[in-house]
Amino acid sequence: MSQAEVDTTQLLKGVLDLAVLAVLADADSYGYDVVRRLRENGLDHVGDASVYGTLRRLYQAGALNSYVVPSEEGPHRKYYGLNNRGRKTLDQSAQTWASLSKALNHLLNGRSNGHGK
Amino acid sequence: MASNDPASDVATYAASVRAALSDLPSDQAAVLLEDLEDHLREIAAEAGGPLTERLGPPEQYAKELRTAYGATQVDPRRQDPALRDLQLARAWLTGSKWYRQVRAFLPELRPAWWVLRGYLAALILTAAFSQGYGIGPIPDPTTKRGLAEIVAAGVAIWLSVRIGRRSRNLPQGARFLAISANVVIAFVGVAVLGNMHSFTYSELIGTATPEQQPFTAAFAAGPVSNIYPYSQDGKPLTNVLLFDQDGRPITVDKSDAQTSYPIGADGKAITNAYPLTQRHLNGDPVVAPRVAFPPWPTPSPTPTPSPTATPSPSPTR
Repeated sequence: MSQAEVDTTQLLKGVLDLAVLAVLADADSYGYDVVRRLRENGLDHVGDASVYGTLRRLYQAGALNSYVVPSEEGPHRKYYGLNNRGRKTLDQSAQTWASLSKALNHLLNGRSNGHGK
Repeated sequence: MASNDPASDVATYAASVRAALSDLPSDQAAVLLEDLEDHLREIAAEAGGPLTERLGPPEQYAKELRTAYGATQVDPRRQDPALRDLQLARAWLTGSKWYRQVRAFLPELRPAWWVLRGYLAALILTAAFSQGYGIGPIPDPTTKRGLAEIVAAGVAIWLSVRIGRRSRNLPQGARFLAISANVVIAFVGVAVLGNMHSFTYSELIGTATPEQQPFTAAFAAGPVSNIYPYSQDGKPLTNVLLFDQDGRPITVDKSDAQTSYPIGADGKAITNAYPLTQRHLNGDPVVAPRVAFPPWPTPSPTPTPSPTATPSPSPTR
């Protein structure tokens, strides 16, 4: 794993909940599909185990509901979807993220506008 | 070597992940790992190829899972050190590459075990019903008993394979019983095999029982197949009867040639009259070898009962 990947993984950890909730807000989904959709949206380094663990934790925390969809060829799929609590969590987290990223962007812009090496 | 069978690959990978998370409180582990297999199956089905290639080593997967789930790590200081070492050793063992390879390969040996199990079961039964009877690992097909043993082994193997093929998905309790029965058969079977007297040479060539067995002459250079006696002056002798120190007739290994023994007045073959009249297996008579006679010592003035330099046949007294 390169340094860049390690950094991305570290940064992702904090916002993975938000990313997963955002994907599920779009449409109900199962574990492998969530990973795929996150990657399609540019989060290349998201680990399968991280997503699986996050889904299980959010479900345990009562933010998600889950149901099993039998599949004709493959294994049964456990779908996850947002419930009211999940939607509320997503809204709050999205606001937090927005203000945080605004602050960070400001900091980073300030750095590149004159204080950088 | 990764298993080509996705099902066993999933099972092996999941087992390694579970092992690496074995220190989690059981309720947390149950919730976290509830549908791990389904999830891995999904990945195996959609991604193809071995899971380790797609997901990295199971230990790393478990670590990531633990972090993402925010699982409480058991405080190592509060844990019994011996238990912790044991868990670490177990996680290391079940997470190691060769363990996974062996684990993935074992299911392929199942049919072989079914056959061996049937054979062992038949062997145990045979041993149980034949106290004091020397049974061998392979029945002797020339006896009725041996034939019966072969048939019994065949039936047992057939039954064992049939049971093996039908008991893929046993409920927990029955599974435990089945594993126990397998372990018992393996241990008792090996014990029975170990107690068996192994083949001896005489059993293989099928000579008589030890009481009747005559002394068979042999030299380090190889088996003796005939003996050619000569008188002191080099004349070949015929029908010389040889006995060993216990008075047993000395016989030789005659496996390479056909021997015709003189028949005594009592109708019994005289087996120790030398040289033996022998024919090679192709029918040619066996001829006496060329021999070199030793030079005798020069005559000494002291009369001795045995060898003298006189050219007459050995003196008899």
